[in-house]
Amino acid sequence: MTAPEIQKPLLDVRGLTIEIETRRGPAVIVDGINLTVGKGETVGVVGESGCGKSLTMLSLVRLLPNKIKVKGGTAEFAGRDLLRMSKSELRQVRGGKIGFVFQDPMTSLNPVMRIGDQLCEPLIYHRSMNKAEARTRAIELLRLVGIPGPEQRITAYPHELSGGMRQRVMIAMGLACDPELLIADEPTTALDVTIQAQIVDLVKDLRKKLNMSVVWITHDLALIAGLVDRVAVLYAGTVVEDAPVGELFARPTHPYTRGLLASIPKLSDERASRLSSIGGTPPEPGRRPKGCPFAPRCALAEAVCHERVPALEPVVGSNGHRVACFVAQRQMMEAA
Amino acid sequence: MAAEPLIKVENLVKHFVVRLGAFGERGATVYAVDDVNFDIFAGETLSLVGESGCGKSTTGFTLLNLQKATSGKVIFQGENIVSLDEKRMRPYRRELQIVFQDPYSTLNPRMTIGEVVGEPILFHKLATKAELPERVSRLLGDVGLPARFAQRYPHELSGGQRQRVAIARALACQPKFIVCDEAISALDVSVQAQIINLLLDLQEKYGLTYLFIAHDLAVVRHISDRVGVMYLGRLAELATREQLFSNPLHPYTKALLSAVPEADPELEKTRQRQILVGDVPSPLSPPAGCRFHTRCPIAMDKCRAVVPEWREVVTGHHVACHAVDMGTAG
Amino acid sequence: MTITPVNLSSSVADDEPPVSLWRDAWHRLVRNKLAVAGLAVVVLLAFVAVFGPWLTPYDFLTQDLNARNQAPSLAHLFGTDDLGRDVFSRVVYGTRTAFVVAIVVTTIAVAIGVTLGAMAGFFGGLFDRTVMWFTDMTMSVPNLLLVVVINASLKTPITAWMEARYQATLNPFYRETIWVDFLLVFGSMALISWPPYARLVRAQVLSIRGRPYVTAARALGLTNRLILMRYIVPNAIGPLIVSVSAGLGTAMVLESAFSFLGVGVNPPTPSWGNMISDGLRVWQHYPHLLAAPAAVLGLATVAFSFLGDGLNDALNPRGSK
Repeated sequence: MTAPEIQKPLLDVRGLTIEIETRRGPAVIVDGINLTVGKGETVGVVGESGCGKSLTMLSLVRLLPNKIKVKGGTAEFAGRDLLRMSKSELRQVRGGKIGFVFQDPMTSLNPVMRIGDQLCEPLIYHRSMNKAEARTRAIELLRLVGIPGPEQRITAYPHELSGGMRQRVMIAMGLACDPELLIADEPTTALDVTIQAQIVDLVKDLRKKLNMSVVWITHDLALIAGLVDRVAVLYAGTVVEDAPVGELFARPTHPYTRGLLASIPKLSDERASRLSSIGGTPPEPGRRPKGCPFAPRCALAEAVCHERVPALEPVVGSNGHRVACFVAQRQMMEAA
Repeated sequence: MAAEPLIKVENLVKHFVVRLGAFGERGATVYAVDDVNFDIFAGETLSLVGESGCGKSTTGFTLLNLQKATSGKVIFQGENIVSLDEKRMRPYRRELQIVFQDPYSTLNPRMTIGEVVGEPILFHKLATKAELPERVSRLLGDVGLPARFAQRYPHELSGGQRQRVAIARALACQPKFIVCDEAISALDVSVQAQIINLLLDLQEKYGLTYLFIAHDLAVVRHISDRVGVMYLGRLAELATREQLFSNPLHPYTKALLSAVPEADPELEKTRQRQILVGDVPSPLSPPAGCRFHTRCPIAMDKCRAVVPEWREVVTGHHVACHAVDMGTAG
Repeated sequence: MTITPVNLSSSVADDEPPVSLWRDAWHRLVRNKLAVAGLAVVVLLAFVAVFGPWLTPYDFLTQDLNARNQAPSLAHLFGTDDLGRDVFSRVVYGTRTAFVVAIVVTTIAVAIGVTLGAMAGFFGGLFDRTVMWFTDMTMSVPNLLLVVVINASLKTPITAWMEARYQATLNPFYRETIWVDFLLVFGSMALISWPPYARLVRAQVLSIRGRPYVTAARALGLTNRLILMRYIVPNAIGPLIVSVSAGLGTAMVLESAFSFLGVGVNPPTPSWGNMISDGLRVWQHYPHLLAAPAAVLGLATVAFSFLGDGLNDALNPRGSK
């Protein structure tokens, strides 16, 4: 299901580096991330808190918080560099060509505005619709995301809706202008599991209907197993592994990915058997160790791992599977 | 499994009254826990699962008498502990402990780790002042932390480390029973497994009994002996791990299990999901009859009117559903 | 038994010494230049207030009718007023007035506010609602109006009573009307100053009481007294310190404002407020009479404000967990 190699990807991020200003001076929190999203492709970006997955996506539409700045790299979207385009061009992209869905629908929706008005705003701005057209489209969108009685709900305020319903409204807002790319940042983390299943189902259904690309940011590997085409695993601001979803789960190559997968309890596990776990904790953002950021927690780490940062290299004999690990790369060379 | 339970929960009810209106003149009742019955056996891990607002955490708090039960009994060592006032409860407090979800607010930020862990030891006179440093470092060792952490303050530790300290504090009382209230939910994936392993190790070492409150079914399936499923303040189903995961009887349990994603793309492709429609109704005005009937795919007229009876359909497998007859279990 | 190896949290190096939140806050405070400047000015003013009488070359009441309305000079740093009194000495004594009023008023207000607020937050229920109703009522009365009413209604009877006592006992203490002034100022200002402290402390206690670490302490069986002393008070005190620092500044401004309007400290006792009031009448001819007390009042206000902001940033850092 990977996009054909010849076709240019819709989103092509290269060498993206983000720094945060601290009292001790600038610190790198995202270090040279490469990420591509093909047309119609769904990519999962997986990582733990503080790994830079959300900042990477926010930087694309230049919505980084104060004190956090992009220091290098490019991010081409449909052939144009998002990081260097003018403010007015960018506004056309934000909410127009790229839709966003955030984790917490309660704080991402304006509590004093009716949801209908919040939905109509981007339509009037980006699509130059008049009020009546926007209203019709808003009702259509609410129906599309499975909100019952959209004609009535359009006048509701966010607090009058349940968490699942609010997340549906967020998705409707993300979809308002038929974006080519939908970026969903942990959209189900705040929701219960039965509601999460509803939202996952909805997005699967919508991306087919609307033929859009999706980036799904999450910390939950199990969640994306049945949802995405490709997975990029982030650790401390770098992509450590990038592979088609089946390949990643069948042949995880980076020690971190392996550790993560092994630490998820499985159906076949015996009760109360010890899970294999990764020792230690991820580094705080801006306190990345020298060399491979995972080296201090890695059971396989060698001297070189603490010295130099491994590059993301293709896995031998695979199709689109890349890994950034000296040990794994050497083992592959030896095996070949 | 011992025949006599360590803790017996009988008809436990917890209602909150929320005040509405400018002068708090109108009251509304939240039916947080409604007529819940279960036993906890020594040395086992019993999990309570369910979605937010189902009353699983309130059950844990009420069971420990941290919130006053509206009615019902919790029998521990022959005493109904939920009827005791704080003073008479104190000797039981030492044996019944709790670990919370949020590692950032579970420790008093003004106390060092050593003070946090040492306080219950001194308070319950489990050691003298002279023995204390040795006790504290042994407890820290038990939870996998070096003894030098005793001088540290909570804000200097990572989330997983703070959760270890919270576990050490609970252990300091030498308890028989620990409620783990979403104790691993707020941790990073790679740290969760560490804490799960730690809890399992400690259970083995000290013969602890856990009431494990969680919403992550994969974790629950991994560590539990028995699992109870709650929905809107009531128990829907309670069974051994094997019974519940291989032969769920209640339609809500079935839907819940089917909603859990598995970390296996091949399996996910072919899996039949049963997706529930709608949201959980408000616990302020729970539906009459079976509380699940508004979302239940097989609801009948009877479900809308009559509260289903809590019964044991096969040994150890309890369920509250009109649609389950004795024959379906087996 | 398997123990997973654990590194220290990556946010703290192993050889760094443990840092308590108090010390951490102190480090943050001294790094804040404005706060340090504010603290320095406050300490200087406090020193002046305490040792003022020994520092000034003249008595603040001594009149020198030959040297009236003199411009600032080496002999009279801030010049002299219309009665030939040394303005510098009067400003120094005014600092004393301001500090005495601010400290006494804030102490009374904090004592009332903390007691009522903490009890309201801890016990809740009817007591809480009654206290809060009382607090809201007090806050809804305009400050100035209340002080004027108290002055108008109480000053005459108290002065008359003091005079009567003097006639009866001939004790010279009862001739010192300055005590009436101070009593009224303390009383009326404390009355309007305690509600914010009560509200703050109540909110603090309510929020801390619900934190997991307090529940954990209850689960350990600790007594209410221990929970209050070791868990609630140490965690509630940070915002209170910030509030008291700001409150001291506010009390000084209030005292000046009331003295300016003639309902506070009355002449001849110097107060920045009544000096400004006097200076305002002649400022076109003798600007130094207005400038000196106004500048010191301004300096004090700004200093307390900077210190309060600095304390707030130091004690309640946002975003850090």
